[in-house]
Amino acid sequence: MERSKTFHRKKIVTIFLVCLLIFCGLAVRVVYLMVFQSEHYTQMAQELHQRERKIKAKRGRILDCNGNVLADNRTVCTISVIHNQIREPERVIEVLCRELGLSEETVRKRVEKVSSIEKIKSNVDKAIGDAIRAYKLEGVKVDEDYKRYYPYQELASKVLGFTGADNQGILALESYYEEYLQGEPGIILEMTDARGVELTEAGEDRVEPVSGDDLVLSMDMNIQQYATQLAVQVMKAKEAQSVSILVMRPDSGEILAMVDVPEYNLNDPFTLSDAMLQAWEEKAAEEESAAAEEKEADEGQETAARAMTEEEKQDLLNRMWRNACINDTYEPGSAFKIITASAALEEGVVTESDTFSCPGFIVVDDRKIRCAKVQGHGSETFVEGTMNSCNPVFITVGQRLGVDRYYDYFEQFGLKQKTGIDLPGEAGTIMHKKEDMGPVELATVSFGQSFQITPIQLATTVSSLINGGKRVTPHFGIKTVSEAGEVTKAFDWSAQKEILSEDTSRRLRAILFQVVENGGGKNGKVEGYSVGGKTATSETLPRGTGKYISSFLGFAPAEDPKVLALCIIRVPKGIYYGGQIAAPVVRQLFENILPYLEEKEEQKQEGTGQ
Amino acid sequence: MAGRRDRAKTEHYFDYSLLFIILFLVCFGLVMIYSASSYNANVEMKNEMYFLIHQGGAALAGIVAMFVVSMIPYHFWERFAVLGYFTSIVLIALVLTPLGVEVNGARRWLNLGISVQPAEIAKLAMILFLASMICKIGRNVRSLKGFVLILGAAGVVCVMVWKITDNMSSAIIIFGIAFLMLFVASPDYKRFIAIGAIGVAGAALVVFVVSQAASTEGMNFRFVRVLAWLNPEKYSSGTGFQTLQGLYAIGSGGIFGKGLGRSIQKLGYLPEEQNDMIFAVICEELGLFGAIAVILIFLLMIWRFMVIANNAPDLFGALLVVGVMGHIAIQVILNIAVVTNTIPNTGISLPFISYGGTSVLFLLIEMGLVMSVARRIQLKDV
Repeated sequence: MERSKTFHRKKIVTIFLVCLLIFCGLAVRVVYLMVFQSEHYTQMAQELHQRERKIKAKRGRILDCNGNVLADNRTVCTISVIHNQIREPERVIEVLCRELGLSEETVRKRVEKVSSIEKIKSNVDKAIGDAIRAYKLEGVKVDEDYKRYYPYQELASKVLGFTGADNQGILALESYYEEYLQGEPGIILEMTDARGVELTEAGEDRVEPVSGDDLVLSMDMNIQQYATQLAVQVMKAKEAQSVSILVMRPDSGEILAMVDVPEYNLNDPFTLSDAMLQAWEEKAAEEESAAAEEKEADEGQETAARAMTEEEKQDLLNRMWRNACINDTYEPGSAFKIITASAALEEGVVTESDTFSCPGFIVVDDRKIRCAKVQGHGSETFVEGTMNSCNPVFITVGQRLGVDRYYDYFEQFGLKQKTGIDLPGEAGTIMHKKEDMGPVELATVSFGQSFQITPIQLATTVSSLINGGKRVTPHFGIKTVSEAGEVTKAFDWSAQKEILSEDTSRRLRAILFQVVENGGGKNGKVEGYSVGGKTATSETLPRGTGKYISSFLGFAPAEDPKVLALCIIRVPKGIYYGGQIAAPVVRQLFENILPYLEEKEEQKQEGTGQ
Repeated sequence: MAGRRDRAKTEHYFDYSLLFIILFLVCFGLVMIYSASSYNANVEMKNEMYFLIHQGGAALAGIVAMFVVSMIPYHFWERFAVLGYFTSIVLIALVLTPLGVEVNGARRWLNLGISVQPAEIAKLAMILFLASMICKIGRNVRSLKGFVLILGAAGVVCVMVWKITDNMSSAIIIFGIAFLMLFVASPDYKRFIAIGAIGVAGAALVVFVVSQAASTEGMNFRFVRVLAWLNPEKYSSGTGFQTLQGLYAIGSGGIFGKGLGRSIQKLGYLPEEQNDMIFAVICEELGLFGAIAVILIFLLMIWRFMVIANNAPDLFGALLVVGVMGHIAIQVILNIAVVTNTIPNTGISLPFISYGGTSVLFLLIEMGLVMSVARRIQLKDV
């Protein structure tokens, strides 16, 4: 029997010591992983284990200047399924189909899809959501969130805009003030096993959503409502294509109302309004008759009332959502004589008492440009020429300024830039290039033709000219207010640079007062108030179709304007003179809102006085 | 030779510390297996006790076998050394016959009424065989011839385990056991240091060459594992998946752990959670303290082996204990190194704790052998 020798023992001890060394090394490695790398791996593991569910933030409301809620939130439900937690797929499919009114195919596809969480439908009525919850189906989640709701349906639809499926602002103010309104979504983090089954004992982490801020507008709902009524009335009476009414404060640029009928239902923005459907049918009928003519030549082609394509529907929806006050340009016509007059008075090329002679036409280069009054106005002062809206007078004044000076004023008045209104998609001015402006172009521009601007541009520029000469920025947004009622942001719309001297501005107001008091705008006169204004009638392009745009721009009081209104009636039937159909609309509006605004002003003063 | 019947005359030793360590590890292993496997066992087999019951049965049989073996003087087994060696070779070869069972794409098991893993039997057989052989050749072990003979005998089995059962880890362990036993038997150091140095240099060279490779396409999976070892997050969806999931578990345990039974990674994220990766679950649930405690327990066990080996009444007994010591030490070191991504991934289970019936049964028989050696230690003043 061999005994162990000393070297055997030594070697055994060596082995132990080597093991000890390696074990220590491993212990160090474990300490490194579990202490120094712990945070890193814990975080990565958590990302793996947690499933995120977003909680929509409550979107900020939109309020008018009196605190009326124009855009609100309603509680709705989002229905989703968690594939791995479903116990009875057939029953789930059957219930969801029935309650949500979806096709079995759609629901089945989503229920059977292997994903951690699958949304079935959002914006479901709370009642339906509660009903589904009552079934207590395993794997079906009913989450409450908010949906935009517009209590006044069509009111100011083109100004407010609407929100999409995820409550994101899509159009107009909802889109422009998205960052203030949207808030921050919250998150529900729940732990799951590798198959996606929720671990109930692990609980859930919630990051609460932060509500968006309320947006307070300069818009006055009462004025907006009344202006809408007037616009609808005149559109019906004149069978017009559309009617826009803009009401703003010339001194600050605050917009009190912006109407562009036909409007659409904000709570159902993806359904074509009756007006749009009617327009579509008319167009289809035209196409049909055109096709019928072709049919004579090409027999056998059936082109009966065809269905609307997806593209055509989208096109019509875009037209329905368009706000003609800012998205479309038009030829302003005679109302633009205000601008020509301002430039000429400022430059001193004309005075109120300068006399002109109108034979009913004027020859520029080799072109004969007619006055609206074919037999001519005869001899008249500049003020009378403005009251008569006499084209030869303004062409002459334009010629006195010359292309260079006229163009400089055009730019100085801010007409070549956008107004900077707080609505997306403002259209730019379409104007001749300076080098392309010949005598004929200068002549036509002088009385508001051959170029195009937006209605908001006209209203803003005139506001700036009559308010003492400060260029204002038209706007709706006044401030944002947090859910707790604190003002989080007050928007600064302070006036930009001087574009006209005070003196010229005062003289301009006096002339425009005469236009309404004794001239072509006398239908805009309001008992007890001094109103200034200018009428306009322009033929649409292409010329010769007998389609006109009639408009009237008025402001009151004439000596110290507190409010300015612009009414544009597109393609009226019958009488189409702005002075006869648009001026009465502004008159009715003023008759109503001038006392109202005065009263409000008094209340405000009393309020601050106390 | 064997069978000294002088119990009445001398007081014999019983290593209660070792017994306690063994029983503790077996019980702790069962608790951890239940914790790690119950969730998935419930999902997949509708029986959360499935793995616990299987392992518990094997452990019980193992403990009985351990006590029986500890009662039998260890020289009794010497006569079976050669038989055991060849039996293990035959069993490994049998894996190629229809008796072989394939699990998870690896053909490592034999169906002999119960499923057994020949590699586990081979480890025990190798320890017995080498101890006996070294004693037989006596001083010849110091010559190069003896050296080559011993390593050759072990090498044959290693190659078979590696190539036939495609189990490189077990091959490494068997080779390691032989290497350590030879190291103890021979007074020389240089040879062993040279072999060790060559091994380390070779491994470093392989790692360097593989890490320089432009693409993993067509590369042997072991080389891809080397790449995944260097950068597990880059190979997170494939080869590095298991490693990375293990690291998540270890890292998210932190200092105090999530508490017994509270592992999230075991809920289907971590593969082999009750098996090779069980140490990761221990880390996640019991934290740094639990992990260090497990390492310490194994260190304690190896220390007891050292004490027993150094006091063994003869060289045969000492070598038996050295073999067992090598077996446990290598397996623990490799397992923890793999789980902590200290070395490239290779499938090695944690002794006594990982799930595996054959493994725990044969480990406990080895423990019986060690205890049998310990009993022969005479408590006399030397």
